[in-house]
Amino acid sequence: MSIFEILPLKTIIITLLGTCLAGAVCSLIGTFIVRMKLTSLGFCMSHAAFAGSALGLALSLPPLWLALAFSILVAFILGPLADKSRLQPEIILGILFSLTMALGLTFLNFIPDSAMSSTAMSILWGSILGITDLDVIRLAVLTFSVILIIILFFKEFHAIMFDRKMAEASGIATKPFYYLILFLTGITVAFSIKLVGGLLIFALIVNPASCAYQYFYDFRKILLFSPLFGILFSLGGIILSFLLDFPIGSSIAITSSVGFGLSVILSPKRRKG
Amino acid sequence: MGQSRIIEMKHVSTIYEGEKVPSLFDITLSIAQGEFVCIVGPNGAGKTTLLETLNGLIPHTDGQVHILGKNIKEKGVFLRKQIGYLPQEFTVDPLSPFLVKDIILMGRYGKIGLFKNISKNDYWLLERSLKIIGIEELKDKPIGKLSGGQLQKVMLARVLTKRPSILFLDEPFSNLDYRSTHTIAHQLSCAHDENHWTTLMVIHDLASLPKHCNRVIYLEEGRVVKDDTPEKVLTEDLLETSLPSR
Repeated sequence: MSIFEILPLKTIIITLLGTCLAGAVCSLIGTFIVRMKLTSLGFCMSHAAFAGSALGLALSLPPLWLALAFSILVAFILGPLADKSRLQPEIILGILFSLTMALGLTFLNFIPDSAMSSTAMSILWGSILGITDLDVIRLAVLTFSVILIIILFFKEFHAIMFDRKMAEASGIATKPFYYLILFLTGITVAFSIKLVGGLLIFALIVNPASCAYQYFYDFRKILLFSPLFGILFSLGGIILSFLLDFPIGSSIAITSSVGFGLSVILSPKRRKG
Repeated sequence: MGQSRIIEMKHVSTIYEGEKVPSLFDITLSIAQGEFVCIVGPNGAGKTTLLETLNGLIPHTDGQVHILGKNIKEKGVFLRKQIGYLPQEFTVDPLSPFLVKDIILMGRYGKIGLFKNISKNDYWLLERSLKIIGIEELKDKPIGKLSGGQLQKVMLARVLTKRPSILFLDEPFSNLDYRSTHTIAHQLSCAHDENHWTTLMVIHDLASLPKHCNRVIYLEEGRVVKDDTPEKVLTEDLLETSLPSR
């Protein structure tokens, strides 16, 4: 029996659209996260969003908004507060990673009935069928906003991605842009968690961007190709998920990891001669 | 000197976090427009800290720093648009996703300002700097593929492209061969005169002291020990006792 016989066409279109948008926006943000060597931020944000969603379900509050609040809280701790305390971001991320994971698992225990528990599991692993029209609209607005922000402040992001200190020395106020990246990451994770799942969403942030970095020396091309890889891996993940009945998050993590392995092998940057 | 004071430090001390001994201690000096000042001293004397305190990249703990009459702590971002800064050691990851032309143009990004596009004039300045430094053939190369000397030339071109009014150069010749050092020292001296720059240059190899240098500040343990013309500061006695590595 084909997928078109199981699911209504509208559901398939909504699912594909949501997947493409989540793939594009996560990997676009990933371009910055990978370059800033903050890949642990992906793990940390996704676990924070997972903890927020689980708390929402435990308290019968909207999981998305609590996921958003938790992700933004991580961005706030990592940005302004880390700057004030002058701690290395990697140390803070390491601590927050275990804390958010612990909170997420603890909140899961407080979720009342079994139906809610299955919703909680979909937050962990992602759910293709759980995505609604509103989720797609949110993802579309977010993707458009992220693209617009990158176009408007391309010079500033470009300079910061090369070297934050040199960007500061050239007369760019780097802090607001650094914080902006962190906050956009938080929002992106919170909006995409429903589709990909809290445990593996960082694969969609880190893997496509890491693939794009294997092919190009021009940052503009990486910004262009990273979301294309993101869309490709997300669609590949959907197909794998339908074919083998895997959770969507796991399928995307598998396809994007295979894609990364191939990119390393095919990378012109690693070729000798 | 009747020229206006571009740089003023009053009783400035800088202490790094976790340190007890200041890296700069009670420094008071002023530099007039058009001066070409070289800063010399042994390793760890505070030469780099002095430059980075002046452009506000390292916050000073005591005293006041004024550049172009404005407090660096209050107007740091604005003032850094006027300062061309070449850092001492600069390393780049070999797979770094940036081209030489991008890195050089980035020097102007702060000056171009928010919401404004790179103009034809910016590209013209890029081409001009590539020509002055003699690295036109590197323009489209990935930055991570350059040698230490080539990278230093690119960073110098970046400073020139910015067209600053003040220049802070931290050991600009440290990775260059003899010939490049002399060519670029000459180019910098000419550009200093043509553009009426105020230049501060940290220098280790005194043999490459640019001929336009009209003042030398000798630092030791974070303090200004001597501040005068090159002839008066770089005495045989000082060179043999304090700067044996020349």
